[in-house]
Amino acid sequence: MSPGEASIVLFGLFFLLMFLRVPIAFALGLACVPVLMFEERLSSMVLFNETFKAYNSFILLAVPFFLLTANLMNAGGITDRMLRMSRALVGHFPGGLAQVNVVLSIFFAGISGSSTADAASQGKLFIHAQVKEGYDISFSVAITAVSAILAVIIPPSILMIVWGGVLSVSIGGLFIAGILPGLMLGAVQMLTVHAYAKIRNYPTYPRATLKELGAAAMVSVPAMMTPVIIIGGKVFGWFTATESAAIAVLYSLGLSLFFYRELGRKALHEAFLDTGRLASVALFCVGTASVFGWLLAYYQIPKALLSTVTSWGLSLSGTGFFIAFVFLVVGCFLDAIPAIIIVGTILQPLAQSVDMHPIHFALIGIVSLAFGLVTPPYGLCLLISCAIAKVRLIDVMKDVMIMLMPMLAVLILIIVAPDIFLALPRWLSPEFVK
Amino acid sequence: MTRFSGLINPLHSLLKWLLVASVAILIVPVMLQIFSRYVGFIPRYIWTEELARFCFIWMIMIGAMIAVREGTHFDVDVLPSLAPKWNAISHIVTHLAMFIFAVVFLYFGYQFALFGADQTSELAELPMWLIFIAWPLAGAFWILFLAEKFAEDFRVLREAVRS
Repeated sequence: MSPGEASIVLFGLFFLLMFLRVPIAFALGLACVPVLMFEERLSSMVLFNETFKAYNSFILLAVPFFLLTANLMNAGGITDRMLRMSRALVGHFPGGLAQVNVVLSIFFAGISGSSTADAASQGKLFIHAQVKEGYDISFSVAITAVSAILAVIIPPSILMIVWGGVLSVSIGGLFIAGILPGLMLGAVQMLTVHAYAKIRNYPTYPRATLKELGAAAMVSVPAMMTPVIIIGGKVFGWFTATESAAIAVLYSLGLSLFFYRELGRKALHEAFLDTGRLASVALFCVGTASVFGWLLAYYQIPKALLSTVTSWGLSLSGTGFFIAFVFLVVGCFLDAIPAIIIVGTILQPLAQSVDMHPIHFALIGIVSLAFGLVTPPYGLCLLISCAIAKVRLIDVMKDVMIMLMPMLAVLILIIVAPDIFLALPRWLSPEFVK
Repeated sequence: MTRFSGLINPLHSLLKWLLVASVAILIVPVMLQIFSRYVGFIPRYIWTEELARFCFIWMIMIGAMIAVREGTHFDVDVLPSLAPKWNAISHIVTHLAMFIFAVVFLYFGYQFALFGADQTSELAELPMWLIFIAWPLAGAFWILFLAEKFAEDFRVLREAVRS
């Protein structure tokens, strides 16, 4: 089979099956089957060898651990403590409850590395409550989904762990590099909420007294320690990324069971079952995506696709914009982890050809893919929020797009001014940044 | 058809229970690995990392089996809402495609597992077919669960055609 025929079969079959509502994981795998059958140099063994190799990875183990951490936080009352803290901090801003929604996402992001877990838990916490206070439902769904994406940008992050593992970039360096863009995106979202609240007259809460703030801080301090342990442990080299995720599980389990004491046996069972369900569905797709990516590499299709782009002679920023564009488009159709495996590896030589810093490349990719979590047709965070609110995706699209505009400005800043974002990792952990 | 579901429900429950167990077990070797580095009296087993990975593979495969029954594998819904009859037909097409993949997993996965029969793992020296068997098993469970889906699809189609 020639590379041209193979790419037509792979991409053609994949898009056809996806259009027919075949699950992405199955569509990716099925697209590979005819190529494996008709190419005499290959056999079906590739399908199993590559999926096995993908799952047989100590790095990906972090995915179930971070999901479990998030589920335990919700079931064990940790999220409630942080909610109280967020409310004491920003409840008196215009659009109080929506501001709390964003700030809680920032706190949550510092402990959990999973945006889907954030969207699921905060959807239940906020959407109904916001609508009851007089916020528009489309605004409430949109802000919940959009703020949830911070979880994969602010460390720890599942996407950063996968990116670091697949493309051989220092995960510690990525974690530190994610702090600034994450906080900037959070700040931009709070400004957006402020503007909405002024225009639409959304309600606010009375300012918390110093005593209330102190009390809220007291109960949430143990929960707030989690990011320090995870990121500190990774940066100082006490444990690996996967181990830090396991520590996060143990810490949140300990807090819920012995400190806040709100975790019952049934809730514990549910947390484990939920984790297994979501992690396996997300990761199964990684396996078939790896086979797909392996076949693309076998026929050197990425090289052929990129040869035209290389001939354009793009500058560093130009390449950055191109990479962001590709990830934004791919993010509309693919989950972020398979997208990193397939597209990240395709684009890596392009980034290297213009001497883009690996962490800069990773930031552009991860932030763009994070936006993909709220862009249709396949934006998991948005789908989850819509499902919780029982609204159609179409009805909230306008508000999501409005909220994404200022966030795109942050992405552009990341592309054109890498030195701002590389300063922190260079200062804190020069050995990771080279 | 209800008798068929009655057969599948206990299997589904069993798989769910195994999934919970695999997630719970997953933490143990990783914690052992960390603590053995800092605490003297815990021996440093080198198979902890391998055990964690193998448990992880089983978790993924069991979860992937369950997700077919629960219909929770991620898909992209770009089709406009169709009339009930065409909707049922489109579901049959979707499930047929998944069925083909399930057969591939069962038939070729069985050869893959045989291939692992005379291999052992690097660290703990476990026989590899213990891991590889998860692939054909997934194919088998998918076929079972999809059969139930087909029955349901055809029932809906018959009703849609009649009305």
